[in-house]
Amino acid sequence: MREKPVRTFWPWLLIAVVVVYAGLLLLAPLVAVISGAFEDGIQPVLEAITAAEALLSLRLTFFLAITASVINAILGLIVAWVLVRHRFPGKWFFNALVDLPFVVSPVIVGYVMIVLFGRTGWLQNFPIQLAFSLPGMLVVTVFVSLPFVIREVMPVLASLTREQEEAAFTLGASSWMTFYRIVFPAIRHGIIYGIVLTLARALGEFGAVAVIGGGVQGVTETATIYIYRSLHDRNDIGAYSMAITLGVISVGILVVMNWLRRDPSEKGSQHVDPTE
Amino acid sequence: MSILLNKVSKKYGAQNIVREFSLEIESGELFVLLGPSGSGKSTLLRMIAGLTPQDTGEIYLNDRNVTALSPQKRGIGFVFQNYSLFQHMTAAQNIAFGLEILRVPKAERDERVHELLGLIGMADLGNRMPSQLSGGQQQRVAVARALAQRPEVLLLDEPFGALDVKIRAQLRQNLRDIQQRLNVTAILVTHDQDEAFELADRIGVIDGGELLEVGTPYQLYRKPQHRFTATFLGSVNLLAAERNGTTIHLGDKRLPAPPQTDHLAGQSVEMMLRPESVEIALTPENLEGHLLGSGIVESIAFAGVLERVAIRVQDWEQTVHALVNPDKARELNIRPGDHVYVGVRDFHLLPLN
Repeated sequence: MREKPVRTFWPWLLIAVVVVYAGLLLLAPLVAVISGAFEDGIQPVLEAITAAEALLSLRLTFFLAITASVINAILGLIVAWVLVRHRFPGKWFFNALVDLPFVVSPVIVGYVMIVLFGRTGWLQNFPIQLAFSLPGMLVVTVFVSLPFVIREVMPVLASLTREQEEAAFTLGASSWMTFYRIVFPAIRHGIIYGIVLTLARALGEFGAVAVIGGGVQGVTETATIYIYRSLHDRNDIGAYSMAITLGVISVGILVVMNWLRRDPSEKGSQHVDPTE
Repeated sequence: MSILLNKVSKKYGAQNIVREFSLEIESGELFVLLGPSGSGKSTLLRMIAGLTPQDTGEIYLNDRNVTALSPQKRGIGFVFQNYSLFQHMTAAQNIAFGLEILRVPKAERDERVHELLGLIGMADLGNRMPSQLSGGQQQRVAVARALAQRPEVLLLDEPFGALDVKIRAQLRQNLRDIQQRLNVTAILVTHDQDEAFELADRIGVIDGGELLEVGTPYQLYRKPQHRFTATFLGSVNLLAAERNGTTIHLGDKRLPAPPQTDHLAGQSVEMMLRPESVEIALTPENLEGHLLGSGIVESIAFAGVLERVAIRVQDWEQTVHALVNPDKARELNIRPGDHVYVGVRDFHLLPLN
């Protein structure tokens, strides 16, 4: 749709409201963080970010985010497939359940995990220690970022006609080959976009990992928990630096993923005609 | 025998989709399965391809029992109504897909793709993505893709259903040429009688999941065995009559029985008159064929090459439709309300059931 040329007063007012709103909410904090961090030049920022505990927290955040993304990409694909392609009793219930992480506060998720797996919890004899440990943090990170791949892939999968797959079958392609060569390329964009969202959500997660992990410095402290503790300790430069680092990483992920998501037909037109 | 179906049946729940369907199709034949929507024709085609499992019965392709085989192993090519090209592959890649699956070496594959693109008249368009092709072009690519592996049998499910009339006629001829040049056995499913007439060596008429009758287009049009066939293939006038000995009694008129209808002797029958066999004249003496009766012209409508005249025949209170040459119509100079005599040049008999 094309924008209308602006002529009267009311549209200008609307635009002004949007600009001020976005400026205050999105831009102002960004400016504040950057100016705060670089108040005394770049040196303190570099020192703060290369401090041992800062690096440890970043490493933990990355480990959790990437592992959760891999798990949710694979499981999300399977869940989406089952929900779109198969019929079973109670399907509507599972379909609704997938959105649970969207509506439940992450703090509650962390708390429930402790209630379940903590020292006095119902499942306290679970073979893997989840409360106040890395596995527990991974589980809650997977939980809070679960819906993204599923919800991105489902509509794309639903829009695929079965006939393309059947055409591949009649041409001798096995089920796996058909998935790999026909279905996957068609839903690839949905998967990638789902992974971007999963990664972004997992990188920024605070409440759930803070509660289940306990935020033990150097052990279960993620980058976001590091920022929170730095603020408490009046370590402003540490908080600013980590915030900028996470922000830059997030923007970087978006850029990389957008590049990966290029229009597939561009790639197709580079294909050399086999008839030439 | 290229394709042999033996009592193939399919039910969905309590509903019979295909009922004890038996059919033999010769090598190199283009067989058209013709029926209204919901008659089970597509389901039958999908069962031959192995895409839908049959409940009972056997399917043989070139004397090989494929009843229990997956679609991958049946050696068939399938063309879907909505093209179903792989959207992320070029036309050439689509055609090459089946050859890649067979691990045909690249050089040979490229040559085959080139040959097939030439066959469908799209030698320069191999590089296009499906979204850059017209519907007709996409359908031709779908045919080439189905033929790439040199299948024993080509199955086409309403292949021209989504195309406009002009393109459809063009593609029909194109398909017939290709089928004959490659001498591949083909079954085409359609609800379009024109398509069936133009393409078919033989037509099988299917209704309610049952094969009613099989014959050449001429046989089915002129001498059908079933009322359904008579009405489904073109328009027709049906008049209740009796066959006594070799005479047809139509009201007070007596007509000689047409050949090949002895099995209907002594029965109540329906006379089947194609509108183009019906004559109109101002006096009974001017009729070339047999006099049926006289009536009032109800309407005259332009119908392309011919004019369609509806006459209300007084003796049996029924409207008879005639297709008349425009020159003839002008010569008669008839108008709605005029009194005319109706005759028939040739007709066929159907059992009353």
